[in-house]
Amino acid sequence: MSALETPAPEEGRLVRRPGPHEARPESAHRRRRTLELSLAVAVPAALVLLWQLAAAQEWIDARVYPAPSAILSDGWERAVAGELWPDVWATLKRVLAGYAIGTVSGYLLGLLMGALPLVRAALEPMMDALYVVPKLALLPVFLNMFGLGEGPQIALVAATVFFFVWISTLAAVLAVPEGHRDAGAVFGAGHWQMFRHVLLPASLPSVLVGARIAAGVAVLVIVASESIAAPDGLGHLIFDSRALFQNDVMFVGIVCVAVLGVIFSELVRLAGRVLTPWAPRDRGRGQS
Amino acid sequence: MRTPALARSAGAGPFPAMAATTLAAALSLTLALTGCSAQRSKTVNTADRTIEPVAGCGEKSWTDPARLGADRSPARCGKGAPAPQRLKKPRELTIATSTLTAEYVAPLQIAVRKGEFKKEGLDVELKVLPTPEALPLLAKGEIDALWAAPEAAVVNGINGGFDIRWVAGNFSPAPSSRSGLWARVPKGEKPASIRLDGRRIGTLIGKGSVISYPMDKIIAEHGAEMKSMSFQQLGSSDVLSAFAGGGVDAAWLLDPVWRRVDGDERYAFLGGQPAGEPLGGALFGPSLLSDDVDAGVALLRGYIRTINTYFAGDYKKSAPFVSQLAKVLKQDAKVIKSVPSLRMDWEIRKGTTDRLQKSYRDAGVTEGKALPEERLVDRKLYAEAVGHKP
Repeated sequence: MSALETPAPEEGRLVRRPGPHEARPESAHRRRRTLELSLAVAVPAALVLLWQLAAAQEWIDARVYPAPSAILSDGWERAVAGELWPDVWATLKRVLAGYAIGTVSGYLLGLLMGALPLVRAALEPMMDALYVVPKLALLPVFLNMFGLGEGPQIALVAATVFFFVWISTLAAVLAVPEGHRDAGAVFGAGHWQMFRHVLLPASLPSVLVGARIAAGVAVLVIVASESIAAPDGLGHLIFDSRALFQNDVMFVGIVCVAVLGVIFSELVRLAGRVLTPWAPRDRGRGQS
Repeated sequence: MRTPALARSAGAGPFPAMAATTLAAALSLTLALTGCSAQRSKTVNTADRTIEPVAGCGEKSWTDPARLGADRSPARCGKGAPAPQRLKKPRELTIATSTLTAEYVAPLQIAVRKGEFKKEGLDVELKVLPTPEALPLLAKGEIDALWAAPEAAVVNGINGGFDIRWVAGNFSPAPSSRSGLWARVPKGEKPASIRLDGRRIGTLIGKGSVISYPMDKIIAEHGAEMKSMSFQQLGSSDVLSAFAGGGVDAAWLLDPVWRRVDGDERYAFLGGQPAGEPLGGALFGPSLLSDDVDAGVALLRGYIRTINTYFAGDYKKSAPFVSQLAKVLKQDAKVIKSVPSLRMDWEIRKGTTDRLQKSYRDAGVTEGKALPEERLVDRKLYAEAVGHKP
């Protein structure tokens, strides 16, 4: 930021001196990054410390809300003993399988409906109606369709992800400027070339935003689903330990879910950056 | 000249250092304070109370806790006994239960409806609350009693320092009841030869429930152990669908669901809750165990009187009473009548909590050493209610 000096009456002119951003842009940027990074670390750390203090001083009941140190120690013990990984792996498998199915099918249908008005006219009302159905309410239907096992869990994640990707793809394809299509047509682009060189690059950034939102929701929905009808997984771990009044284990599960959600979402963001280098760059958290 | 903007920008420099210092100080303080404090533990005190003989409650009002087996008749007083003893000061009590429609809750519901608690000076409110949610509230005294069972969650809670005790039983099944573990009979096999090793069992309640104890026993009789089984927790209606549809190989079927497979040769009843041994009932927290023991005894007196008056024998023989039950339990009278009467039983058998804890450990749902019975059970309150001196 620059600074203005008040002119002396006899001078009658304004003097603008460069601020640190202009005079020393690199060091100003570094300081800003350090500040943001410090805040990103200090605020959660302070909250965790406050929690630890509250548990230790019995401001909260540590049997109901175990101290972070107890959660960490329990999580570590379970990880070392190998008790945690089967649940993490079970959840991860379901999320990845459901996410892949949901993303691909959502993208294809969104593309089809965006590109072909007749298909859109035929399917949009029905899809809109299905979109608003709470996906967890479909679990009993999937249980009947696929029986017990992995089928209902994967189907539920796929159904959830599908709608996020479908709606963002449809909106993105419809938002491709007519001029882009006209340009493609003028150059004699066929269906595949129109898709490959016009619709895909124009729509992919928005589709990936939908896919990133869906990544978080996929983790959310699998936890709810595993709590109802799964013999393993992080959702099962959380709700089973809650039922057994093993609150430290329950919090270990919650922390694992949070970490899994963040990692998954960040991986999708990273994939977005690699796949769409032309898109406006999302520089991530704490990087204003 | 240094403008405010410039000052703000310059201020960004020392902030990380300041944050780090604050963080380090907070960390040191937290660790210091963590080291010098511990969770308080209140003591439970139901000892040293005067026990007077109670009219109508003679020898049959107490059975030796060590006696087990189907031939044991549950303790009983005469109809209307023990007589109410109104508290000097009326007391409001909140009792949590995970359901109000199950038949084992009927004595509570009938006691409220017939004013048996009112006669004791108690204003009882029943609240539906799952056990894991109710436990901390019970330990804090925000609810006074929990109508549940010494499940793994309760054992874990007491192990963690909660002052909670199992103070009265609820029921054991009638000998003719077939509520329990059912299995599909493979072609050419007989029920006795069914092997359960590695099979999948569907249950409404998980491995931390008291049914782990009979299940542990039954599974062992069929060549398996709890850890080798796969448990699938399902909704009440889904257990039977999964069982009938082949989704699970065996299922724990409750009243009256087992009636749907009873008599069908494709399914076999392998066993249920042990006869004559209640596995659930009343759990008290500090508010009735130590703060106001009189109210705790009064509550059990009302409960025991209700059993003696309305549930002493085969209570389903009386059609008007079945209609009343149907009304309070919000169930169809035909459904209630379709299964035999429960044997209501306020007593707690010796060693039940040891056997329960063994099954929890076998199922891997509790950790550490088993708690001694006196940390989990207190029989003094119901003993006082029926005038039994140990």
